[in-house]
Amino acid sequence: MSTTETGNSSTTESAVSGLDYEETQLTLAASGASRSELERKRGFSEGVDLSLETKDFLSGSSDEAPISGAGEPSAAKAQVVGWPPVRSFRRNVLKSCTYVKVAVDGTPYLRKVDLEAHAGYQQLLTALEEMFSCFTARNYPNERLVDPVNGTEYVPTYEDKDGDWMLIGDVPWKVRSSSNFTGNIKGFGSHVEAINKEELEGAISTIHGKHHSTENNLVECCDGCLSLHANGFVDEKLRSCRFSSKNTHRLHHCKVNWDPQHLQTMQS
Amino acid sequence: MVGGFRWAAMFPDEVWEHVFSFLPADADRNAAALVCRAWYRLERRSRWRVFVGNCYAVEPAAAVRRFPEVRAAAIKGKPHFADFNLVPSDWGGGAEAWVEAMAEGWPHLEELRLKRMVVSDDCLELIARCFKNFKVLSLVSCEGFSTAGLAAIAANCRYLRELDLHENEVEDNCLHWMSHFPESCTSLVTLNIACLEGEVNVSVLERLIGRCPNLKTLRLNHSVPLERLVGLLHRAPQLVDLGTGKYAAQHHPELFSRLESAIAGCKNLKGLSGFWEAGPTFLPAIYSVCEGLTSLNLSYATIQGPELIKLISRCKNLQRLWVMDLIEDEGLIAVAASCKLLQELRVFPSDPYGAAQPISLTEHGLVAISAGCPMLHSVLYFCRQMTNAALLTVAKNCPNFTCFRLCIMEPHTPDYITRQPLDAGFSAIVESCKHLRRLSLSGLLTDLVFKSIGASANRLEMLSVAFAGDGDAGLHYILSGCKNLRKLEIRDCPFGDKPLLDNAAKLETMRSLWMSSCSVTLGACRQLARKMPLLNVEVINERKRGLPLELQPDNCPVEKLYIYRTVAGPRSDTPSCVWILR
Repeated sequence: MSTTETGNSSTTESAVSGLDYEETQLTLAASGASRSELERKRGFSEGVDLSLETKDFLSGSSDEAPISGAGEPSAAKAQVVGWPPVRSFRRNVLKSCTYVKVAVDGTPYLRKVDLEAHAGYQQLLTALEEMFSCFTARNYPNERLVDPVNGTEYVPTYEDKDGDWMLIGDVPWKVRSSSNFTGNIKGFGSHVEAINKEELEGAISTIHGKHHSTENNLVECCDGCLSLHANGFVDEKLRSCRFSSKNTHRLHHCKVNWDPQHLQTMQS
Repeated sequence: MVGGFRWAAMFPDEVWEHVFSFLPADADRNAAALVCRAWYRLERRSRWRVFVGNCYAVEPAAAVRRFPEVRAAAIKGKPHFADFNLVPSDWGGGAEAWVEAMAEGWPHLEELRLKRMVVSDDCLELIARCFKNFKVLSLVSCEGFSTAGLAAIAANCRYLRELDLHENEVEDNCLHWMSHFPESCTSLVTLNIACLEGEVNVSVLERLIGRCPNLKTLRLNHSVPLERLVGLLHRAPQLVDLGTGKYAAQHHPELFSRLESAIAGCKNLKGLSGFWEAGPTFLPAIYSVCEGLTSLNLSYATIQGPELIKLISRCKNLQRLWVMDLIEDEGLIAVAASCKLLQELRVFPSDPYGAAQPISLTEHGLVAISAGCPMLHSVLYFCRQMTNAALLTVAKNCPNFTCFRLCIMEPHTPDYITRQPLDAGFSAIVESCKHLRRLSLSGLLTDLVFKSIGASANRLEMLSVAFAGDGDAGLHYILSGCKNLRKLEIRDCPFGDKPLLDNAAKLETMRSLWMSSCSVTLGACRQLARKMPLLNVEVINERKRGLPLELQPDNCPVEKLYIYRTVAGPRSDTPSCVWILR
């Protein structure tokens, strides 16, 4: 595994080809740990800096795990409600920094994991295992889109501000009662409305199911972008939502872009 | 009262009203109103500014009736601990009752400032429709409204001068709300939209501020990219207070120089804030205005110590500094050396939950500031360690503190060198700082500190206590002392029934008391409510299991308790988790 910090040359990349995970070196750095000013994001440069070497990553054993940097992170030690007394507004701004991008060489998209959601190294490793096990185990539980022609599976991804393709859903959507996400998918002539990720996927799968695409086919959708509001803050710009075929290295170019002009004004 | 009556008739009413106009302070006006009926009558007709510290302390209609000429109103709703999620979200603090009463009785209202209230879009539309001369809307820590409500304000308030939205939770459902400001709107002086989460149409904003020559304060939200800041500044070089939008971009020498010159063009700039996602790249662009700055808020910028030092050392005239603990002791030592006019310092935690590497911000930074900044009077300081010796030094250096809030992040933390409670340190603070109005305690504390506070803190108006004390005596010291105490908020302390019942009368002299996770029983609350009809005794029980509160026995523990004086009786908008005892 390698970090996804673009331009971060201090991580070593294992010689992974395809889906070979025999020897992996996992290095994680918090989003803000970038050394380069260019990549400065909302984050802390002294955030959690973990370095973990493990063999047989996917089998879950991590006995040889020299831990450098912060030591055992107590990300989920029992938190007292409302203590320390930091206003929710301020906490929301800070909270965004505990999401870390994780990439596995050879996979078509990246994932995001919330370090605060895991009580320790072991739990984090387990979570990461599950996230990336679909590439070997082929038992991804949430199959949503299957191309009827060639049986390829699709998952919704988006391109973030670094140019990385991320799986939708790792950073929780703020589901607000009166929020809609609407957009037009050009080429399909369909208008999509969704109030959360599940609906979005379902809606797109319905549309997508009506058209089949083969590899290397470019199906254009409309322009524009939609901001995903996650947990009270704008985390990523959803510039285009692309359906990536799992289990292959090539990405199918079905781009779904959302047109902000068509976002409905809410009635109160 | 024959003598008083004759005296008042010496002058016509207009003369007395003119005299009263020199009494701006509410306390003085309240005193004047008690002299005689004539003065009561005259004063009430000439009061045009009211402050309601607790929206439930008085019926809105009664307030509106008593002061018919009000032009400016400020109202506060939820208790302070609502900021930290201790108050249930449906507790109350709705603004409708007030806005409806004001729309009815104060059609000439020009200013409305609401804090910690639930403000609906309907409220905003009512404000926009009913107050023809409306000029100032300030919403602080409010919720319940959306940008659609803001659109109504923008569209209808023709003389709007201030739209000040500070740390509100605003639903974003009307993307183009700012387009609702008509072309004829040229009166804006303050526009603060820093808390809005959604996209802002910067072109619309540019046109708006371009036609508002009196704009002094502009605070953007983080959706405004750095490149567009340049254009905005060109249109408003007269700005006194600027909150930047996102303060990061791809490094670009041209952008840097354009930004630098745009900022330098703002010759009157005194306050800077925002700096979302700021990194070292673009910070030097503000160097040219640093010398003139009196207020700098870097508390949302995760900039490291060295960069902060480079920046702040240039700000020789800084009076207010808000910063993250990334500044560390070293940075505060530099601040102490450079910012001799500093009056207010707030240091916020970059990592409140302790997951990251430790930061070298300790008691030394606080001591350095106290030694180097003779005008310092207000401090908010989050740290992880403290000593009595440091607090003694701070107390000696700064006898002029009006506000001292220290938050040692781990509860029950003792003096890390002596392992003693921090009683001596905080006692020194209250004994030395005779003008202390606000105090927040933390760390390991026994009843002794409360004895000192009760005895010495004569000007104290607000006290926040958490994870402190040994028993009832602690609370008793506070309630039987602290002559000017207005607000007391306590959480997780072993204070029980006795001090409450023994000091029931004190509670009527205060605005409010909050106690949560203490040792108070339902029986004591019932007694208190019976004894003190002018108090609302609110018991908050969120768990909703078992018997309803009316059937619970007296020894049932009370999880959360909120007591406040009121002339309005029990409120009618309590949610199911709140009981008002009678």
